[in-house]
Amino acid sequence: MRAVSPSEVTRADDQAVREELERTWADRPGFIGWLSTTDHKRIGLRYMITAFTFFLLGGLNAGLMRLQLSRPENDFLGPDAYNQIFTVHGTTMMFLFAVPMMHAIGLYFVPLMVGARNVAYPRMNAFGYWVYLIGCLLLYAGLFTNTGPDAGWFSYVPLAGPEYSPGKRSDVWAQTITFTEIAGLIAAVEIIVTVFKHRAPGMSLNRIPLFVWAMLVMSFMTIYAMPWIASASLFLASDRLIGTHFFNPAEGGDALLWQHLFWFFGHPEVYIIFIPATGLVSQLVSAFTRREVFGYTAMVLANISQGFLAFGLWVHHMFTTTVPQLGSSFFTATSAMIAIPAGIQIFCWIATIWLGVPRFRVAFLFVLGFVIVFVTGGLSGVMIASVPFDTQVHDTYFIVAHFHYVLLGSLFPFFGALYYWFPKLTGRMLSERLGKWHFALFFIGVNVTFFPMHFLGFAGMPRRVYTYIAETGWGDLNLVASAGAVVIVSSVGVLLVNVLRSLGSGAPAPDDPWEAESLEWATASPPPSYAFVHIPVVEGRSALWDRSAQRPVVTGLRTNVRDTLVTTLVDAIPDSRHYDPRPTTKPLLAAIGIGVTFIALMFTPWGLPVGSVVVLIGMIAWAWPDRRSYAEQVAYEGHA
Amino acid sequence: MSTVTDPGYTTDLDVGALPTTVFGPRDIMWWGTLGFMTIEGMTLVVCVATYFYLWRQPGTWPPGHTLLPSVFWPTVHVAFMLATNLVMMRVSRLAHRLDLAGLRRWLVIASLCSVVMLPLRWQDFLALNVRWDTNAYGSIAWMTVGLHGSLLVMNTLETSVFTVLLHRRPTERHFTDASDAAMYWYYMTWIWVPLYVMLYWSPRVL
Ligand code: HEM
Ligand SMILES: [Cu+2]
Repeated sequence: MRAVSPSEVTRADDQAVREELERTWADRPGFIGWLSTTDHKRIGLRYMITAFTFFLLGGLNAGLMRLQLSRPENDFLGPDAYNQIFTVHGTTMMFLFAVPMMHAIGLYFVPLMVGARNVAYPRMNAFGYWVYLIGCLLLYAGLFTNTGPDAGWFSYVPLAGPEYSPGKRSDVWAQTITFTEIAGLIAAVEIIVTVFKHRAPGMSLNRIPLFVWAMLVMSFMTIYAMPWIASASLFLASDRLIGTHFFNPAEGGDALLWQHLFWFFGHPEVYIIFIPATGLVSQLVSAFTRREVFGYTAMVLANISQGFLAFGLWVHHMFTTTVPQLGSSFFTATSAMIAIPAGIQIFCWIATIWLGVPRFRVAFLFVLGFVIVFVTGGLSGVMIASVPFDTQVHDTYFIVAHFHYVLLGSLFPFFGALYYWFPKLTGRMLSERLGKWHFALFFIGVNVTFFPMHFLGFAGMPRRVYTYIAETGWGDLNLVASAGAVVIVSSVGVLLVNVLRSLGSGAPAPDDPWEAESLEWATASPPPSYAFVHIPVVEGRSALWDRSAQRPVVTGLRTNVRDTLVTTLVDAIPDSRHYDPRPTTKPLLAAIGIGVTFIALMFTPWGLPVGSVVVLIGMIAWAWPDRRSYAEQVAYEGHA
Repeated sequence: MSTVTDPGYTTDLDVGALPTTVFGPRDIMWWGTLGFMTIEGMTLVVCVATYFYLWRQPGTWPPGHTLLPSVFWPTVHVAFMLATNLVMMRVSRLAHRLDLAGLRRWLVIASLCSVVMLPLRWQDFLALNVRWDTNAYGSIAWMTVGLHGSLLVMNTLETSVFTVLLHRRPTERHFTDASDAAMYWYYMTWIWVPLYVMLYWSPRVL
């Protein structure tokens, strides 16, 4: 397979088309444009920046914890502050960073990679972002007012229930979850529909890029997993606020019910992070070896089977509760089984690298780092899938080591993708030299921080303790772990310097700096508001590498209104056109309405009737087109 | 994946003549409706799972001195809900025929039906014969009726707003929306049937 010269397809009328498209798709100027945009690229970028900001804040929490734990009997943080900080750290990393970051990358890149002008339901997209932002702000408003949740990121009852957690801390947790889950569910539906119905002609299902497949599987998992936590947190909130008894054994409720509901979501959650990470790896491996990934079908099936298997594992988080013996054996087996598809993926990547000509750019180094770190986490995972072993290390630092290996393992492809896609996002290249420093420091830091924690676990150090006495002998390894955290912080510092320098004075990026194969590289860097001057027609699995000399495109879409193409589900044959509404601040107002309602509900059940009125007003406003949009739509439908 | 056919495009494709009003899975809104139906359905699945999980806890169901639920009004309501599907079948047919005048009339009727469901839903709560804060049985029963009730409320708001819109700012798009609304309505009413059986009959007969 030969890399053809990149860049857009040209036609004779380009200049005129370009100008009119720009007028049609551009946002309103200034701040109001910023508030009202429905462009998936602007919203996606905003989503990424927000999620990354909360990654930094979550990292700051982690740094504070490592400082506290660096020596025995330290009094830097008291127990109460420590409880809030580790809970907010875990909650931030899972709900405000990892999952939203993957959704954000999907919302930005999936439409481009399938050749769409915009995401499906652009106004919903804006709404989802604002709701997510409200959730983020709520959590940190809580933390800064000493109302940060303190019952752990999985908020177990009875600790988080009305009896042992009076005050508003657990309510802050529950409502943060509500907001982020609403946003996550919206993102999932948008991604699915964009992939199903907005693909460029010729991109049949067996030709969509592997990252897009991964986002599709992840989005389906989101839809089946997130309602569990959303409902569970609703049950918890109602136990706390209106006196229901879901988790109260004295009145026929059950505390373990919480654990089942939480982990039926919580385990798939880990795969919701991991599966897109594998999609990123596939994209990077193909770009940096200049080969189609070996075993496309096997890779897709691996993702799909992971998606299914992930729903059969939740009980392994509950081995030390009273689940029946037979149940435990079953869940041990399924937990070990999930290693199979991951193994297939790793072999396919290695085969691709083997057969291709790897270019060891920074993005590719992160792929290699991912394989090492993730496999380490996978190995300790298979260990704790065994009940007797898990009983020993449950709630010790061994578990902390295990899940950080897996989660930070999934962070490597994300960083790799940042180097890979930064040129597309900003039109600037990142420095490879600083990038190598970033990679090396991060790789070393992660291992120095988390590898010793395995041994701390064996030595019996429990998780979620704010300090320990010197006689335990845990001091040295904890100091090592804290030193590692300093290295991680410095690596992220290097990354930030790299980003800021590049934004100021980085080398300008061409359209397709890596000569990669997927459609996002067939437009300018950064892409214009309308994405593609001409929507490309796809002729093979590697869209840009498999192009014929003709480079066929779609013609006939209106350029004076926001006209989008809808194609068939399997074969992506052009089937109809869809009018995309104009940008509007209504999603923002609706999000504020929902935000006020849910936050009011933390204090009084009257939030519900008041909220219903707000929702009614919001719905009318949302549905009611202004005069101009109405005229435009009627004209579009041919009824001027 | 051998069923996929490669259309083998080699020249520019003119899509200018493609329709802008299509129905069902050809349209993107249909898929969004399906997505949100799935999500709502999952929250109800969680309620069912919780209901039976709590049932398995030691003790009788309903616990202690809790009365069995009444069935009269809930049965009336279920029958009414299913009957309204006839209205929506009519709405859907008119939408496919692009009959604006007929659609306007029948959507007014549909809105009225959706409003009638609200007091009936209140009867559904009363028929449980237990308060949400009496015991866990009462909690999950109220939660299930309440979550499904929130669909009824949203549906009432949506249908009414949509009806007004159709009188004041009609577009062709609304024909598609009306047919999706009918699909959603069937779903919302039929999904109540198993919940109704679970809540009002299963504690009596099991
Ligand atoms: C950047 C370096 C990181 C460091 C130094 C770090 C450190 C820590 C520490 C010290 C704890 C508390 C252990 C305890 O007291 O039991 C913790 C908990 C946790 N971390 Fe991290 N972490 C890091 C990154 C991450 C990332 C990237 C994620 C997820 C994507 C993550 C997810 C979690 C979770 C879920 C918990 C559990 C919180 C709880 O027990 O409720 N961490 N981390
Ligand atoms: Cu798990």
